[in-house]
Amino acid sequence: MQRAVGSLPLGPALRARLAAAGFQTAQELLDTGPCGLSREIGISKEEALETLQVVRQECSGDAARTAGGAGTTRKCTALELLEEEQAQGFIITFCSALDNILGGGVQLTKITEVCGAPGVGKTQLCMQLAVDVQIPECFGGVCGEAVFIDTEGSFMVDRVADIAAACVQHCQLIAEAHQEEDHQKALETFSLESILSHIYYFRCRDYIELLAQVYLLPDFLSEHSKVRLVVIDGIAFPFRHDFEDLSLRTRLLNGLAQQLIIIANDHKSAVVLTNQMTTRIGQSQSTLVPALGESWGHAATVRLIFHWDKSQRLATLYKSPSQKESTIPYTITPHGFRDVQPPAVTQNTESTEMNPRKRPRREEEK
Amino acid sequence: MVVLRAGLCPGLTEEMIQVLRANGVRTVVDFVSSDLEDVSQKCSLSYKALVAVRRVLLAQFSAFPANGADLYEELKSSTAILPTGSPSLDQLLDSGLYTGEVTELMGAPGSGKTQVCLSIAASVSLSLKQHVLFLDSTGGFTASRLYQMLQAQAEDEEEQASSALQRIQVARVFDVYEMLSALQEVRDHLSQQAVSCTGPLKTVLIDSVSAVIHPLLGGRQSEGLAIMMQLARELKMLAKEFSLAVVVTNQVTRDSSTGLLKPALGRSWSFVPSTRVLLESKGAPWEEATTRRSASLAKSPRQPTGMQVELDIG
Repeated sequence: MQRAVGSLPLGPALRARLAAAGFQTAQELLDTGPCGLSREIGISKEEALETLQVVRQECSGDAARTAGGAGTTRKCTALELLEEEQAQGFIITFCSALDNILGGGVQLTKITEVCGAPGVGKTQLCMQLAVDVQIPECFGGVCGEAVFIDTEGSFMVDRVADIAAACVQHCQLIAEAHQEEDHQKALETFSLESILSHIYYFRCRDYIELLAQVYLLPDFLSEHSKVRLVVIDGIAFPFRHDFEDLSLRTRLLNGLAQQLIIIANDHKSAVVLTNQMTTRIGQSQSTLVPALGESWGHAATVRLIFHWDKSQRLATLYKSPSQKESTIPYTITPHGFRDVQPPAVTQNTESTEMNPRKRPRREEEK
Repeated sequence: MVVLRAGLCPGLTEEMIQVLRANGVRTVVDFVSSDLEDVSQKCSLSYKALVAVRRVLLAQFSAFPANGADLYEELKSSTAILPTGSPSLDQLLDSGLYTGEVTELMGAPGSGKTQVCLSIAASVSLSLKQHVLFLDSTGGFTASRLYQMLQAQAEDEEEQASSALQRIQVARVFDVYEMLSALQEVRDHLSQQAVSCTGPLKTVLIDSVSAVIHPLLGGRQSEGLAIMMQLARELKMLAKEFSLAVVVTNQVTRDSSTGLLKPALGRSWSFVPSTRVLLESKGAPWEEATTRRSASLAKSPRQPTGMQVELDIG
């Protein structure tokens, strides 16, 4: 084909030699053959053979695609994508206001980033999502498993057990109210032990372990194909301390972002990251901005910023491809991540709070 | 720097090539720039044959000069101006997107680059009934938002919106080599004029080009720069040869010395697009939620830079 040699995935030294020898298109390489190639550029016959195999693979991939065959490019019309999206589920967060501004919940195949000051509830949301992804489909969930990658060590198993117990209780209430066959059957498998056993936990202590874990994740996910959520709690932490070379950091983060989006797309799972906040000192004032720099802001598809307003926790949707920017209040209860209850308590069937909360969870938090 | 080969032109046989190579003439450039009398003496080849070969090679490999009037006529007949779906942006771009050129949208995260790309795709597919190719490398393409925009623009019929959706092809490429393969595929389709699934393609949108190139730049190797320039060449060739309007989106980074925002991918990339538009949002994000954005012209061959308009991406 007329593919230029510069656009083939070959090593830089090999590419330089090919350019010096005067090869311009892939077709010329294929015409020369391995013996001629090794003679002209001065590489061994095995290397020449390998190079030609790579070239042939690329060109046959192109030819198959031109003929209308199914190539490796993920290509389809927007109408097909629309149907796919409408059939996809969301991971609910149990806070209906947050679900509303996200358009139904945390979306699969996208990267969602949660930024916030310390203690505002990022890890709580991650733990809630790790439980919520396992809700059976008849109750409105996606019935998947979760991978939790922890870099800060803030994952508390007993807290997850509390959240899971509250979630199971909520589902039991719904089943009792509706009295349907599949609800009862699903409840048999949806219990505290099964929830905890389907959260795969990894602990990474520095950035090298984190990068290795993310690059090895596709193999893990192809073995455990039911995983629908990957949480990385604390992506900022290993990259913020002890990093002298900032341009290396930017490059590593960008490569990591591309790898995560490939994982999210290939395995149809949602990726949730948590980020820290840092202060930007401006001319006359200083503002709190998400950490890791400007270029990291492009990595996530959906960005949520959690912040305080006196004693009320607020969540703002800052970046989303399909929803408007808005801010809602939320709260953290012993049962997990929940809506703020209005002062005049109206008992609706959705809420499972047996005891309406009397005070915010400030004291138990810090 | 093309190597002399037996099939390049009639009169250039294998024996001639072997003899020439033995005397140090390997590529076309060597042949054309050497003294033919000298070569014919050393290689004992006929002078007339060498001159004939040189004439054919020059005709084949050199560029043809064209005069300005011809170029102008060609431009008038082949350039089209495509509406972007937002009248203020059209005004900024001097009535719309010009085919045959690369236009760039840059902005901070959340400034609306993907929204503007979706609105361009919607307006070209709906009002002009032409095909659009969308190369998505960040995962930000949401078909339901595109459908929402189409319904807002189409107003009446629903089947118009869904047939418009069918004219938009989406390819998810997360790696620079995949992006180059996808562009090569477009080139093959268009040069063979296969009507199969592409149809009259006029617009290629790439969101975003810096997501695939940024991981390769920096460091001590200049390989990232080479790939970036290869990609730039592909885009410009596509735009020029097939009269397509190519729209790319770019990110912004913070300049470490001055603290100001500047477009990513550096100075070398800044020469590639002919028009650059910077999108900004007004006000800090979590103080007031707004759908208003401001677009300013950073580089344009036709309009004065510094022009600014307001956009609504709601």
